[in-house]
Amino acid sequence: MLERIGARRVLLIAALAVAVLVGTVAATNLASSTVYYLTPTEAKDRGVNPGQAVRLGGQVKQGSLECCFMYAGDGVRFVMTDGVNDVLVIANGTIPGLLREGAGAVVEGTFIADGTFRATQVIAKHDEVYTAPKAGATPAHRTAP
Amino acid sequence: MSAGDLGAAALRAALFLSLWGTGAAIYAAWRRDARVLASARVAAGFAFGLVVIAALSMMFALATHDFSILYVAENNARETPLFYSIIGLWAALEGSILLWTAILAGATAFIAFRGTLAIPRLATTALAVMFAMLTFFLLLITTPAADPFARLAVAPENGNGPNALLQNHPLMALHPPLLYLGYVLTSVPFAYAIASLILGEGGDRWLVATRRFALISWALLGVGIVAGAWWSYAVLGWGGYWAWDPVENAAIMPWLTSTAYLHSVMVEEKRSLLRSWNLALVVATFALTILGTFLTRSGVVNSVHSFSLSAIGPILLGYLVAILVLSIGLLLWRSARLRDAGPIGTPLSREAIFLFQNVLFMAATLTVLLGTLYPLVAEAISGAQLSIGGPYFDRVEIPVALALLFLMGIGPQLPWHGASRATLERQFTAPIVAAAFGALAALITGTTALPAVLTYALGAFVLATVVQEFARGVRARRTLHGEGGVAAFANLFRRSGRRYGGYVVHIGIVLVALAVATSQARTVDAERTLAPGDSLDVAGYTIRLEAIRPVSEPQRDSIVADLAISGNGASEHLRPALVQYPNSAAAVGSPGIGAGLRDDLYTILAAYDQRTFSWATIRTRVIPGVSWLWLGGAVVGIGAIIAALPAPRRRVVRMPVAEVAVSAK
Repeated sequence: MLERIGARRVLLIAALAVAVLVGTVAATNLASSTVYYLTPTEAKDRGVNPGQAVRLGGQVKQGSLECCFMYAGDGVRFVMTDGVNDVLVIANGTIPGLLREGAGAVVEGTFIADGTFRATQVIAKHDEVYTAPKAGATPAHRTAP
Repeated sequence: MSAGDLGAAALRAALFLSLWGTGAAIYAAWRRDARVLASARVAAGFAFGLVVIAALSMMFALATHDFSILYVAENNARETPLFYSIIGLWAALEGSILLWTAILAGATAFIAFRGTLAIPRLATTALAVMFAMLTFFLLLITTPAADPFARLAVAPENGNGPNALLQNHPLMALHPPLLYLGYVLTSVPFAYAIASLILGEGGDRWLVATRRFALISWALLGVGIVAGAWWSYAVLGWGGYWAWDPVENAAIMPWLTSTAYLHSVMVEEKRSLLRSWNLALVVATFALTILGTFLTRSGVVNSVHSFSLSAIGPILLGYLVAILVLSIGLLLWRSARLRDAGPIGTPLSREAIFLFQNVLFMAATLTVLLGTLYPLVAEAISGAQLSIGGPYFDRVEIPVALALLFLMGIGPQLPWHGASRATLERQFTAPIVAAAFGALAALITGTTALPAVLTYALGAFVLATVVQEFARGVRARRTLHGEGGVAAFANLFRRSGRRYGGYVVHIGIVLVALAVATSQARTVDAERTLAPGDSLDVAGYTIRLEAIRPVSEPQRDSIVADLAISGNGASEHLRPALVQYPNSAAAVGSPGIGAGLRDDLYTILAAYDQRTFSWATIRTRVIPGVSWLWLGGAVVGIGAIIAALPAPRRRVVRMPVAEVAVSAK
């Protein structure tokens, strides 16, 4: 009987240890995997460090979308605007079909030292009624009716 | 009378019957009144028929482009092909809930007719729970929040057409219904668990009665998830299959708790342990399916799957809270009756491994839940909008998955209660050797990332234990019953389907793990802008751009790149395209995939000369082993079918004794 209780305690401690271990790994990785969602204005105000992953939401400025051949291998580049501030975005390996001038866009990537945004992905949406933020507004990353 | 009127009327009649059924089933369970129960049965049957009629009416309205119905106008167009019109039933919220309700009504009818015969009181109470849930969903789809048959005052000339991504691949016919079936069927074990708690039974009858339902819903959920990954791979044009998107997470969480449950159930059956734990797992699984629907359908999370925001969000949240309060309340109230029949065995017993496995599955579920809900909590507290990236999930879940793979090899090899040293040696010598060979195979094929090498080693370990089990099973049958090799092998499935079907499931899981490890570790990318006649070399393939041309179809316009593939023994044509649907602002990439058992050649038309078609930018990925992911999913499904099939009646020979001797000697 004593041996049984001992075995049980060993089990319980081992199970708890596993839980604590996984919890610790989760907690430490949560902060480093956080990607903030900002407009160009918010990015400017916060002073995002170069190299920190963020999502940038806004509109593709009219007349700014340059694509394809010239930047083959570099994807596309365009100016992302929220009506107040502008950011030059270079999107590597992007399907340009996802982007339209005057239409909203959300890109994920990092700022480089000169203030240019290097997008690693243009975030595609299932939903056609997905809306980009209005001028000056915080990006609505929810779908709207 | 139009199809829309018929459907709307059928739903209202079904609601009336469902309300009757709820009351009748409660009364019948309370008073043990067979006549009232009979009326509830009839109500369940008719309610099911009526909801099916409503769903068929919607399919008919979609197929005949009846744009006077708002849902049809929003999700269908004259140009939509018949196939995509019909599967438009689950292209958006209202239709999906209609399909959901139809499945729920089917499950309710099944319990009403089959369940109530074997264990009348428990099943009648469960029937009342099912009816209550059915009533909720029928109320939902007969109110404006999610009314599929809502009318437009003036029918438009043409509809909006289905979402571009949802009419681009036939897998859309498979993935949502499988997931919904899996989701909805978890309500059966839940209803029985609640019934058992209400009646204060404290025994295992609810669990035995719903074992098959739990297995089938688990399998459908799993196969539905794999089908979704396949759809994402074949349609979204990013060359991946899993992105830790909130909606993917919402689907995987109930699958994780459900997997934990299928294993801990065995501990309760064999050893009468973990009783309240199993009830909690069933409740958690069901609650997570509702949470998943809420996350998908309320628009609270930022996801590629978040469909339009609707009034349904708060209603589903209320439903979820009600379910949790009811279940937890019942569990606390009845906890005194849920005593376990004894202590658990030593750390090296099968039940102990199951316990560890459950701890790990819980850890996986909770960490996925944390990563999924953290952005919501952070926004509520600080107002900052953020998302949790894939790296979090990869770093947390990959170690947990590897540990689970390890336990998958250990658990079935250990006897209940505890193992001796001799048993350990006999069971694990060959698998450990196999694990070494697995690691070697990974290194030889150039798979050097540590998680991938471990996956190969553990995969080989598990496969070896399964082969060993089959070999011993066959040998035992040959000795005991004098059967031939093939007959003995087939009889393992027929006579002990649950056990050997389970091993087949394990093989499927190993295939999935190997496919994920291989494809993640060794994918090669290349991209080049080509003029017609130019070619691009990647990982032994030569991809020649033959032409780039526009293609016009009634429902869409595409730009297609004709690619001739050679090298690595391949000789085929791939046609990646950019597809423009009239209702879509942006073109949708449609990849061209040359699938193979060794690797997939994944090609994307990234850009092209819009004036003279004189060049095209082709992006390619060579993704090794990814086909094994879909195959693994299919193997899991086959294993689950074997395990769910009823065993034939036992012959006079006392087979079970022989089997126990094989596994536990």
